[in-house]
Amino acid sequence: MTIGNCAGAMTVAILALLSQAGDGRREPSRPAGSAAVSENTRPEPIPAKEVEPQRTVTTEPPRQKPQPAAPATPRPPAAAPKPPAVAAGPPASRQNEPPRAEPVPQQSPPLEKSQAPPESTPPPSTETASPPETAAPQPAKQTAATLDLTTLEQRLRDTKAIGVFTKLSLKNQVDDLLAEFREFHQKRDQTMLGRLRQAFDLLVLKVLSLLQDGDPTLARDVSSSREALWNILIDPNKFQEL
Amino acid sequence: MSTRITIAVLVVSMATLVAGRSPAADDPAVLKDLTAVIALQGQPCGQVVTATKQGDNDYIAACKDGSRYRVFVNAEGRVVVQKQ
Repeated sequence: MTIGNCAGAMTVAILALLSQAGDGRREPSRPAGSAAVSENTRPEPIPAKEVEPQRTVTTEPPRQKPQPAAPATPRPPAAAPKPPAVAAGPPASRQNEPPRAEPVPQQSPPLEKSQAPPESTPPPSTETASPPETAAPQPAKQTAATLDLTTLEQRLRDTKAIGVFTKLSLKNQVDDLLAEFREFHQKRDQTMLGRLRQAFDLLVLKVLSLLQDGDPTLARDVSSSREALWNILIDPNKFQEL
Repeated sequence: MSTRITIAVLVVSMATLVAGRSPAADDPAVLKDLTAVIALQGQPCGQVVTATKQGDNDYIAACKDGSRYRVFVNAEGRVVVQKQ
């Protein structure tokens, strides 16, 4: 009787120890992140059919992610719990959920990194491209604006867009206008300035209308140098040098 | 002899007719130049359709609107547009 009782007590004790030992093995694996996993698993009773495709999806990206995400140190601990979870086959829901959270942060950084370089590269290209664009038109404007009376007169003589009679008539009108400017500078009558400006604009318009079809380049130069010519005409010192 | 004379008369008359026509009448550059000059002088014309050369730098221009102008360069070197 005593032996049987002892044997029974021993078996009960062994069973108790085994049960305790089994509980103790499960508990250490949980603290690695099972708290958050269990919370996520509870609200999502995913069917087994849906879980299986997710496994295939989640298992593939992590293999690729560690390679580009080498500098990310916090990822290894997240990957560490995976092997034990994979080894423990039964908690499949736990395996699927951590990868769900992982792919999002792991995929987003590469996207940001991949987007960042193109964003960073275009600005230099635009900066480098913008200076030539701005630099090119400036010389053209400067050359067009630097037309003096001598150059303008020579170009008007050489152009074939205006006939002989028209050139002679224009010369007559220019001479008349210069005579009026000479009178303006002699009398120093500022009231004449408005009328002179009107006559000057009218003559320039006539020249432009004559040149715009036959010699558009000269017409553009005349138009761009209109103010420069006016400034020469109204300046007594510059006018004396003509 | 009579036929030869007839041919000679015809040749001379044709040459006279061709030479008598103003060389500037069909020159578009001259017509355009006269049109521009008349417009520069502020005279109504529209467009010169025909021009007859009277002399050196002297033309009679017929405008599209029917008006006629004499365009010439006077002794002072000025272009003058006179309505005919």
